Amino acid sequence: MFGYVMPCKMELKVRDYEKFKAYYCGLCHTIKDQYGNLPRVTLNYDMTFLAILLDSLNEKPLASKQIVCALHPLSKKLILYDNDPLKYAAECNIVLTYYKLIDNINDDDSLQSKLAIKVLKKHIKDSNLNSYIKESLNKLYKMEGEAYKYNIDEISHCFADLTAYIISQYVKNNAELKEKLYWLGYNLGKWIYIIDAWDDLEKDMKHNKFNLINALYNKDNLSFQELNNKVKENIDFILTSCAYSCFVSLKNLPIKKNQELLCNILELGLLEKMDTVFKRSELVNGQSL
Amino acid sequence: MGNPYEILGVREGASKEEIKKAYRELAKKYHPDQYGANPLKDLAEEKMREINEAYEYLMRNASDGYSGSSYSSSTNYTNTNDYRNTSNYGNSNIYSSIRSDIQRGNYAAAETALNSISTRDAEWYYLMGMVHMRKGWYDSARNYVSTAYNMSPTNPEYRDAYNSMNRNNNNYRSNYYGRTTRNDECDFCIKLWCLDTLCECAGGDLIGCC
Repeated sequence: MFGYVMPCKMELKVRDYEKFKAYYCGLCHTIKDQYGNLPRVTLNYDMTFLAILLDSLNEKPLASKQIVCALHPLSKKLILYDNDPLKYAAECNIVLTYYKLIDNINDDDSLQSKLAIKVLKKHIKDSNLNSYIKESLNKLYKMEGEAYKYNIDEISHCFADLTAYIISQYVKNNAELKEKLYWLGYNLGKWIYIIDAWDDLEKDMKHNKFNLINALYNKDNLSFQELNNKVKENIDFILTSCAYSCFVSLKNLPIKKNQELLCNILELGLLEKMDTVFKRSELVNGQSL
Repeated sequence: MGNPYEILGVREGASKEEIKKAYRELAKKYHPDQYGANPLKDLAEEKMREINEAYEYLMRNASDGYSGSSYSSSTNYTNTNDYRNTSNYGNSNIYSSIRSDIQRGNYAAAETALNSISTRDAEWYYLMGMVHMRKGWYDSARNYVSTAYNMSPTNPEYRDAYNSMNRNNNNYRSNYYGRTTRNDECDFCIKLWCLDTLCECAGGDLIGCC
């Protein structure tokens, strides 16, 4: 996962903004407590959303404290601690990053990734989660290698299903809730996978790297601008449909807290991100910070 | 429309079976889906519409005995809804069971059943579109539904399904884009009040009561 799921900050109440930061810092410190300092660099916003969503399903009050963080020594930070969804999100973060790095090595054999893998390797334990992530990503990379055989829905299914698995696997013994979380996760995963490819399109084409959109839609060797004009409407339609389905399925979940924050992320945050990636943002939200 | 016999490439007075066979071959050849994002797709869609119209016309008139002069002036062939019933009498039972599968949420069964049908008409594309929509396969869902809509443009169900895909997205978007202009009415009132005050300063009055 790559860090696209964020709130629309301008429309957030200060209370919710502080809460989002507390989850974010809390996740960072959970990674530190469980895996050490180095893996903290793998932290990303998508995993923060995972923690917030799963934590919102229980009624437990938030346990928070103020600390002085070594990374920000000048101000005190409010963080959440001793929180099961945060621990789960930390684990997912580590395992996903690990397999992402392995893929990087296969792509460009970078020294940086090799070192990072050494650090993470000892934390990768045998578990259902681990093997599911491994299998799904392997399947995905294999499909990407022969992308011409598939359409965009078929390829993105792997990643969408993986995200859905990660989100719904946290809940035990409640098939109905699991199913609802699966659908939200499926749409969110698809959204993340496609927006990531769309965001990197220009860069990937320049450096001659694999890009999903380029592989699927550019059979006539178009330039970036031509390809962009050709498929923009299509990609926009798919992304908006996914984001809309996420938002609708949030409404069907038994959310116990963080309602406004979650609504903000799925109703406004996803669209704001799309605006940035489609380079329409200055038209609507000129004063973005 | 041109001569429906010419469009389908069959001789005048051909039997229903021959017309059907010619139609199937042309549909296979011109089906817009296989063109993906190719620019030829629009042309293929146009051609497909023509083929559908010709086919419907001939199938409806084959039993009445077709007279060479009536088709060109015929205006009564806007009722494309029958298309489903005439061409698919064999499939209608299967379709209704697929529909109930979809309603019950059993999408896998519906998809398997659809895949086993070889004659693909508007209803087939519509139902396949619905299944893909529920799977979250929005791109192919839109292709299927728009094919159904193109094959049978007057069918209200297909048209609604096609429009609602875009409508939902637009409504969702409007929450985001509309959030900065929420206070429009209030703004209007204040402008009116200012205007009234200015008029009063100048000795006139815009709103009598204040």
